[in-house]
Amino acid sequence: MAISAEPTALLSHLHRTDGSATFSQNGYTVVGAVNGPIEVQRRDELPEEAAIDVNIRPAAGVGGTRERHLESILQSTLRQIILITNFPRTLIQVTLQITSTPENDTAGSKLVQASSNLAILPALLQTAILTLLSASIPLAVTLTSVVLALNNSNGKARTTFKAPTVVQFQAADSVHVLAFTSQGELLVAESEGIFTLEDWDEAYETAKALCCDETAGEVIMQDEGENKGSLMSFVKSTLEEKVAKDLHWKD
Amino acid sequence: MASAAPQSTLSFPRETFAKLSPHPYLLAHLQPNSTSSTPTRANGRTASQFRTPHINNGSLTHAEGSAVVRIGDTTVVCGIRAEILLANNVAGYRVDKSTTAPSSKAGYNEAKELDLLVPNIELATGCSPAFMPGQPPSTLAQSLSTRIYSLLHSSGLVDGEDLRIWYQPPDLSDRDRMDEDDEEDAPEPVVKAFWTLYIDILFISLDGNPFDAAWAAVISALKNVRLPKAYWDADREMILCEDSVAQSKKLQLRGLPIAVTSLVFKAKEQKQAKDHRYWILVDPDTFEEGLCEESVTVVIDCGSGKTKMLGISKAGGTTIGALEIKGIVSLAERRWAELSDLFNS
Repeated sequence: MAISAEPTALLSHLHRTDGSATFSQNGYTVVGAVNGPIEVQRRDELPEEAAIDVNIRPAAGVGGTRERHLESILQSTLRQIILITNFPRTLIQVTLQITSTPENDTAGSKLVQASSNLAILPALLQTAILTLLSASIPLAVTLTSVVLALNNSNGKARTTFKAPTVVQFQAADSVHVLAFTSQGELLVAESEGIFTLEDWDEAYETAKALCCDETAGEVIMQDEGENKGSLMSFVKSTLEEKVAKDLHWKD
Repeated sequence: MASAAPQSTLSFPRETFAKLSPHPYLLAHLQPNSTSSTPTRANGRTASQFRTPHINNGSLTHAEGSAVVRIGDTTVVCGIRAEILLANNVAGYRVDKSTTAPSSKAGYNEAKELDLLVPNIELATGCSPAFMPGQPPSTLAQSLSTRIYSLLHSSGLVDGEDLRIWYQPPDLSDRDRMDEDDEEDAPEPVVKAFWTLYIDILFISLDGNPFDAAWAAVISALKNVRLPKAYWDADREMILCEDSVAQSKKLQLRGLPIAVTSLVFKAKEQKQAKDHRYWILVDPDTFEEGLCEESVTVVIDCGSGKTKMLGISKAGGTTIGALEIKGIVSLAERRWAELSDLFNS
């Protein structure tokens, strides 16, 4: 089965949470739910800002050290974009359930779950932000995130895989996850593998174009036909659709 | 009115000021009022000054390799214990022809597939007031374990060949073979077992920057590892190890990566404030970690003359962009020279 590199999203489909979203891209599907601001345990209460609690559940089994690490990345990222000082002494709880990961029957025997942390991170960040938007939690900025795989084993020729497959991901010399705010600032950067500062610079520029740049998105659209543009415009159009649907009764 | 009291009569000792209002305390150090005093951090270091590292290798008797790394008041013990994993105990392990073996596929990592490197971090009770006895591993400990684990594998530090135990079957025409290599015609050497390295990292005291110290301890301990010469005894059908130290061998590490963590300290305490000044503090201590949200860790190796990056991980803020990363990398290069001398001494 061919895995679509195109992002798809579904907003506010869970009715008992304050906000929810399902996001899938590149074979990863994540369901997110957010509750907040709600009452916080006394132990976790912060006097001047809201506490953010992120729960990540893997597609199979119970969460382990990998999920704790991803949670701590997400927690420190979401603290930056949610206006936490608006809700002192409360809790905003984000739950992310991974529902599907790409199969890798060709790339070795182990489950994807046991391998690298980085491939799933953009889907988690993207789901979290859509979930927060669905819950109408006040945000300072939104964010977009991509994963890139870089290969430069054969000398000068440097190949960049946008939305790498599992095999490309494992065979790559280095993998990079970058997340940018809607103002184009670098918010999260996680890189693994062996690379140089120039490689990283190129990954940075490519990722920035994929995430934020409207014009670069149009160039890609011409190149690959069905690509809708940068991830930023994907988030925007998803929300526009949602708002248009919500206002349908007015017509 | 209490606030009408003149400021001069209200004076605290330094420690009280630090406890009562830590953020202004550090800010006052970084931008002193008088031009005569140079801006330093509360711990007396400049913003780009590292703490002096101390490394002591081989202090644990019963481990294959060990190291104690002390960076300021952060002290870590790393012990590496090697165990033998028999190839026929690995579920689904096949001795394939080299063309169809999974090892011939791009991106195959034997150490990862078979879990030959098992790092574990323990933040001992008493290493810092934040850790209570009898608690499950904290988020910090789990997060650190994952980072050490993924860096060990993504850097390809340990050569997979070092962890294999080979056996050359004797060339006999009427040999009665072991069950699994029945179909082979020519006696090719076969992998009979693997070394599994259990890397245990224990924090004796923690005063900030746990990752850098833990990673330095892992590197130093891996450099210290001596694996005994192991061979397959066909008669007893088991792996035996030679006693003599002369026949044991060290691991061939690929490079000498080091980790450098920096934090961003902002002049403004509230997000809405207009003050945009910031300081990048390298090798932070616990006091500074409590005041900063954004952190960057770069892992570099300058061994081959050229700076090789093995990892960047940054989260928690937007101050650090592509330009600041370059600055941090050049600081890390300086640190690499200092640490690699210590590792090799």
